[in-house]
Amino acid sequence: MLSEKKWFGRQISEPPSHGAGRPALVPVGTEWCCQRCHQRVRSTDRLANGTSYCRHCLQMGRLTTRDKLYTIPEPNRFSHRAAATLSWLGTLSPQQQQAAQAVLQHLQRRQNHLLWAVTGAGKTEITFPALAWALAKGWRIAWCSPRVDVCLELAPRLRQAFATTSQVLLYGGQPLPYIYCQLTVCTTHQLLRFQEAFDWIIVDEVDAFPLRSSPMLQMAIQHAQKATGSHLLLTATPGPELQRLVRRRALAVTYVPLRYHCVLLPQIHVQIVWHWRQRLENGRLPAKLVRHVQRYLADGQPFLLFVPHVADLRPIQLALARVGILEAVTVHAGDPKRQEKVLAMRGQRIPFLITTTILERGVTFANVAVIIFGGDDGVFSTAALVQIAGRVGRSAQFPTGEVTCYCHSQTRAVLAAQRMIAQLNQQGKRLGGRIR
Amino acid sequence: MTRCVWCGQPIRQTVTLSGLWRFGQQRTETVCERCLTRFQRVTADHCPRCGRQQTDRRCCYDCQRWGANSLTNHAVYQYDAAFKAYMQQYKFQGDYALREVLQQELVRALHQEDYDLLVPIPIDAATWQTRGFNQVTGWLTDQPYFQALTVRASHKDQPQSAKTRAERLMTQQPFRLVENAPALLANQRVLLLDDVYTTGRTLRHAAAEIILGGAKAVTSLTLAR
Ligand SMILES: [Zn+2]
Ligand SMILES: [Zn+2]
Ligand SMILES: [Zn+2]
Repeated sequence: MLSEKKWFGRQISEPPSHGAGRPALVPVGTEWCCQRCHQRVRSTDRLANGTSYCRHCLQMGRLTTRDKLYTIPEPNRFSHRAAATLSWLGTLSPQQQQAAQAVLQHLQRRQNHLLWAVTGAGKTEITFPALAWALAKGWRIAWCSPRVDVCLELAPRLRQAFATTSQVLLYGGQPLPYIYCQLTVCTTHQLLRFQEAFDWIIVDEVDAFPLRSSPMLQMAIQHAQKATGSHLLLTATPGPELQRLVRRRALAVTYVPLRYHCVLLPQIHVQIVWHWRQRLENGRLPAKLVRHVQRYLADGQPFLLFVPHVADLRPIQLALARVGILEAVTVHAGDPKRQEKVLAMRGQRIPFLITTTILERGVTFANVAVIIFGGDDGVFSTAALVQIAGRVGRSAQFPTGEVTCYCHSQTRAVLAAQRMIAQLNQQGKRLGGRIR
Repeated sequence: MTRCVWCGQPIRQTVTLSGLWRFGQQRTETVCERCLTRFQRVTADHCPRCGRQQTDRRCCYDCQRWGANSLTNHAVYQYDAAFKAYMQQYKFQGDYALREVLQQELVRALHQEDYDLLVPIPIDAATWQTRGFNQVTGWLTDQPYFQALTVRASHKDQPQSAKTRAERLMTQQPFRLVENAPALLANQRVLLLDDVYTTGRTLRHAAAEIILGGAKAVTSLTLAR
């Protein structure tokens, strides 16, 4: 009986001791539909032996027309369900408390809900009262995010806050085996293995890549949720789709326009540097930017230098070396030393990092300033710029700081980001937000 | 719009004059240019026996150890991280669609070989059941070939990739000739085709059988070394 737990609320290709599976691919006209990722399998995606296979969810293990998926309906049978308690010792600000109350009410009514909380609002803690309530009721809960770094950072915090709740962390390439737990922290990809498992799903950074552009992952959330379940979406920068749902009142929303320390968000200051791209191709940086970097280094001010592309990292590092700035360390998504470099930056063992948008969210450095170089490049969307600006002034000890955006011209995305920050700050001021 | 079969990015179809000359009509590309340049070609500085990338053209240490049991192999690409990542998705995850990534390159490589009969290395029945394709024949498009070899039924071993070099060198002959093989092999110059040359053990076992079948000469081509 114990071993059956592996199938509770999941659908996997391994058969349990008894119980019939269902075909992993079902025919739809001349094509097939994958029952794990619910995507169409093209008639050309066929093996030499004639069987069709799904390429969309291949990384979870290949499914063909010969495979079956097995599941046991979620029974909510957890080992320590009585003792689920909040072991978090912090306190919520009045704004956080209000938002926490709203989250709890929507959860109790089993309504889907969006928590639009500015960067540094403390949105994780805002969910704690509702989370404690749901865990005490014996509900099965998933906390998921499209970003693996968000999951890795969050898992230990949840383990501390709910010390008596059984918890498991799942992501691609994870070395530990799956175990059945009341609280699952995972990447949105991992939800593909679940089937009507969760009473409540929290989706953290809902507008982040790849979830925002992947119908497969968006559908995975729907299928992992029980028919009676609901979800809570968390973000500081909802995309146009979500904002439309909110406007149409198809999705309930709670705003937290003020950071937990009640200091307003730093605004983005624009510096125009003409033809920075051409100058960089000649190995040069704008003099304004060089002076700016030198000032931060002289003041001992830690900072992040955001650049558009991986290919820009090395030329900028070299251009800085030409003017005698040799301390530059670069980081990007595929960097094997990424974690190490982020830790060195957090421990202030290095003065600054040149980074791609990979550090736009999910990471916190105390007392950091931000420079965006080439802010007019298409990779800097409005959401990306607001998130990047949100790296600054997060701690109560250092609640302010500078955000400077160097660009050839002020793009629509830059203007929209400034407008969004100004609007949030206007609302924040009404709630008693301070400038410093 | 077509998307790259490997990375999924949209492909811009470029119409070139030379392309129009050669084929009369444009081929639809299925692999993007970035993916096509992920692999490192073996340059002129390689081992003359096994095709391994080196800094000179002397016979490599592994080939010296084979001594008289020599086999001439040509390799197209270096077996580096990019090629391993490709094989991981194609062969081990079983993404048969990725065969297209190397099909055009194999056409070119086969043009440069001098042979009468092409013999791909076979896979055993159990692998055919689970994987659903032979990764080597998957790369062939219209080229004629002869499946002269088959894997002995008794050869239910652990996969080659799970073995150490010493263990691989110890393996017994895994292949036997199919029934009509001698008739087709007699007096032919045979080219064996395999995915990766690792120790050379598998290819030498195959070559020995082909010679027993009456072939005049055997050489081999692998996609990577
Ligand atoms: Zn699928
Ligand atoms: Zn590609
Ligand atoms: Zn050699």
